[in-house]
Amino acid sequence: MNERIKALCRLTLDGKMYVRPTPVAAVECPENMGRIEREADELCRYIMNQEPLLSEHMAFCGRFNFDGSVVGDAFKRGGHKYTQQALNKYYLKPQENLSTMEWQHATADYRQVLDIGLFGIMEKLKLSYFALEDERRDFSLALHKVAGTIIRWCEGVSRKIREFAKAAGEENRKRLTRLANNLASVPKHGAKDFYQAVLTIYVCFSADPDSVGTLDRYLQPYYDKGIADGTLTREEAKEYLQELFLMLQASTPKESVHFTRGGESHFCVGGYLPNGQDGFTDLSLLIIESMVELPTYIPQVTLRWTEKTPTEVLYKVMDLERQDPHKRIAFTNDEKRIKCYTEICGFPYERAVNYTMVGCNEPAFLGAITGSNSKGNILRCVETLFHKRDEKILAASDFDSFYSLFEEELFSDLQKIFDYDDMYNSERAKDYSYISSLFFEECVYSAKSLTQGGGKTVTASPMLIGVTNLIDSLIVVKQLVYDKKKITMAELIQALKNNWAGYEDTRTLILKTAEFFGNDTDTSSTVSKRVYDSLYRFYYGKKNLFGYPWLVGDLLGYNEHHKWFGEGTLATPDGRYSGQSLKFAIGQSEGKDREGLSALLNDVAGLDKAGIACGSTVTNLYLDKSLIENEGSFRSLVLMLEEYFRQGGVHFQLTYTSKEDLIKAKKDPQSYSGLRVRVTGFSDYFVKLKPSIQDDIIERTVKK
Amino acid sequence: MKATIFDIQRGSFVDGPGIRTTVFFKGCNLRCKWCHNPEGIDREIKMLFYESKCIGCKKCKSVCKSKACILCGECAIYCPSMAREICGREITPRELFDIIARDKHYYKNGGGATFSGGECLLNPDFLRETLSLCKENGIGTAIDTAGNVPYESIERVMPYTDIFLYDIKCITKELHKAGTGVSNGLILENLKRLKKDFCGRIIIRIPIIGGFNDTEEELRKIKAFLDSLEIEEVELLPYHTLGVHKYEALGIDQTEFSVPSEGQMSAFREIFK
Ligand code: SF4
Ligand code: SF4
Repeated sequence: MNERIKALCRLTLDGKMYVRPTPVAAVECPENMGRIEREADELCRYIMNQEPLLSEHMAFCGRFNFDGSVVGDAFKRGGHKYTQQALNKYYLKPQENLSTMEWQHATADYRQVLDIGLFGIMEKLKLSYFALEDERRDFSLALHKVAGTIIRWCEGVSRKIREFAKAAGEENRKRLTRLANNLASVPKHGAKDFYQAVLTIYVCFSADPDSVGTLDRYLQPYYDKGIADGTLTREEAKEYLQELFLMLQASTPKESVHFTRGGESHFCVGGYLPNGQDGFTDLSLLIIESMVELPTYIPQVTLRWTEKTPTEVLYKVMDLERQDPHKRIAFTNDEKRIKCYTEICGFPYERAVNYTMVGCNEPAFLGAITGSNSKGNILRCVETLFHKRDEKILAASDFDSFYSLFEEELFSDLQKIFDYDDMYNSERAKDYSYISSLFFEECVYSAKSLTQGGGKTVTASPMLIGVTNLIDSLIVVKQLVYDKKKITMAELIQALKNNWAGYEDTRTLILKTAEFFGNDTDTSSTVSKRVYDSLYRFYYGKKNLFGYPWLVGDLLGYNEHHKWFGEGTLATPDGRYSGQSLKFAIGQSEGKDREGLSALLNDVAGLDKAGIACGSTVTNLYLDKSLIENEGSFRSLVLMLEEYFRQGGVHFQLTYTSKEDLIKAKKDPQSYSGLRVRVTGFSDYFVKLKPSIQDDIIERTVKK
Repeated sequence: MKATIFDIQRGSFVDGPGIRTTVFFKGCNLRCKWCHNPEGIDREIKMLFYESKCIGCKKCKSVCKSKACILCGECAIYCPSMAREICGREITPRELFDIIARDKHYYKNGGGATFSGGECLLNPDFLRETLSLCKENGIGTAIDTAGNVPYESIERVMPYTDIFLYDIKCITKELHKAGTGVSNGLILENLKRLKKDFCGRIIIRIPIIGGFNDTEEELRKIKAFLDSLEIEEVELLPYHTLGVHKYEALGIDQTEFSVPSEGQMSAFREIFK
């Protein structure tokens, strides 16, 4: 990292690079102005009045933020009146303990603006204008106006920089003058070199401050050209990338709790290209290296792995991940995802490969919002069975009969979650998004706001919380009630109705002997597969109100949906007490996975053959640090995770320890009876170790 | 045919090359004072009792339906504080193979199954059958042995074994006897013969035990012996104390050894370079 970047880094981490919105006084609009025209007018006036943040250290400039006084970008949704109304009613408020409304991602596609600039986009809008009718005409006109405003604003910023540069020292002046010169030509026109391309993304990020998407693909042609003709060095490219990443960190104000959370501005490198080749290049690697070198929390990056990704690439990226104290790298499997996007969603291959990861770990297509972000309590159907339909399940003579009753409840709840999702979206859809829609090719083409279904390649992925509890509950019923007959159904029902009081032994038997998800036994794998097959049968072919196909996810995001859902859910057969939080994401915890990493990975990789769960799914692996202390072990881990992807795993991210779990395990050995720790040639259950050794291991464990 | 094992570790990165499933057989004919798997010494299935964890709730008594313990394991299931644990279970070659085969896809790149213990070679026929099942199914195999068995046992498994992980503790006879209870004559002799007869990989594993063999002199003796056999692959495993709690559960006194320092370990590694 050079001195200039170091200086910018200090300013960024001090919160001094966040561009504060400049307040703009409201002006009375003429009465005959329509809504679209008025909103666009207010927006343009707002933009023109924004003061740029200038620093002598800069090589890039041109960010602005919204304050909610006008209709801002579609990610933060400031000034989106109807979204605000929906949020007030539903956001983080569980409905029927079944569904909560969540935020929604919106992922710009920078290809168009990089190719033809805002001028080119304005030309396209003009061409289509006469073919449009009424409202769409108005919207098209509004987009045209906003594009022109951004160009004029940049020209103004260019002049301000030129003025500012006069007082700067020679080196800074040269750099700032170059910035001023270039801001006069991009994003107005298409980018001609690597610097201009980065500048274009830097400026346009204001229009949709969510994700820089498939960054290596955007920049590759410029990088290749610059390196080939000698106008760019790898070092310079790194410097520009680092300044771009610092801008992403600075997009969140320091006072926000999100400033130090690594879930913002997620993007991707690698993955399949439209020509079927693996897209990981030297630039992809440079992008990750540049990012990891910065002591920041944001952004985070996912490597899209393909069968064609060389093992050495996976090794290198996992090695960078291992050294990254801020844990900013995740991994996802293109084989599974592309298969899902083409076969289940029906997208053409060239579109299917244009996805990125955003936010916490949500797949998103370039130029599309995520069609759903609501959360569903998938465990509620189990609660209903045991606490309300107990007479029915008492009469179920075998597991298949029980499963049919379960599936009825499951489908009924999934349908309700589905309906809630449409309801949230229809409320949000009353807003227009002007500035963001400019960077969504389909919205420009159709003159339809992205909030109203203007994007094309979009999936809807509700996050089903508690899926591991659900699978574990069914495993307990199959294994201990029907197969081994260790517990009667009547006893289990009574135990749950009494929240395990008086049935402590039953609960102990379950916790110690059930073949929970993650142990890769015949029971754990057949039950988990069966659940995902049910999900597939329910969701396959279904579309949301905008016509987006549905996929399933399981991640949580920032909010405690699992806790709220858990609080309202009575005891369940997996040993969960009434009110206890649900598990989120796919995986296992509390020491219920007793068979080690390969078994857990087998269960995770094998459960969803069809790929219906290629929505926002997360597999967190908490690995003991000693597992990767020597090169041989680390290489084995890389090979193991590579094979996990070959077997069908969709995602993983690593923690080489879980301090919290170890501390909890020490206090509550019963709940963590299967938690294992490893040292060379030896492993044991953590709870069986001497307290002093437990302390030692806790001490050796690195914080998350 | 059955054997008694006390653990199966899937996804192991440390018991031989690549990704492995390691099976720990119960029963050993050495009595190493530093053993970190003392529950594997005895061949019999046992109930381990961790007195310091017992809260005296008597749950174990109330669930037990038998006058004399038949090792049914019920009390261990219901003990609320994990103070009781059944150590050991019987398994057939087919059952064991089925577990090993679940991770078959991970064994590419040189991985496979490792048979360890205890002393796995105390079950040569069982091993031979399990190993042959592995080989028939394209799964790599390794035998982790202390080598103190009749050479015939080694010969029986040799055709189905890819790698021998062969433990050498020391060369000095008296020291070996004092540390392990047996002389190392047969062990060293077997290694000589193995080197002659076996065309696969032999990896020597030397535990470095502070206060036993952690001297340059002793390690140089091992080095000279291995040089004479032209064996080059050597792994040094530092002693650790993570197994000591098991001595309590078994009601055995434990001799104190010290953990070698990182500095010591790298100096010793130099000897074997
Ligand atoms: S193992 Fe079975 S027989 Fe033995 S003490 Fe425990 S419950 Fe009784
Ligand atoms: S059940 Fe466990 S804690 Fe209770 S008395 Fe028996 S051994 Fe001790």
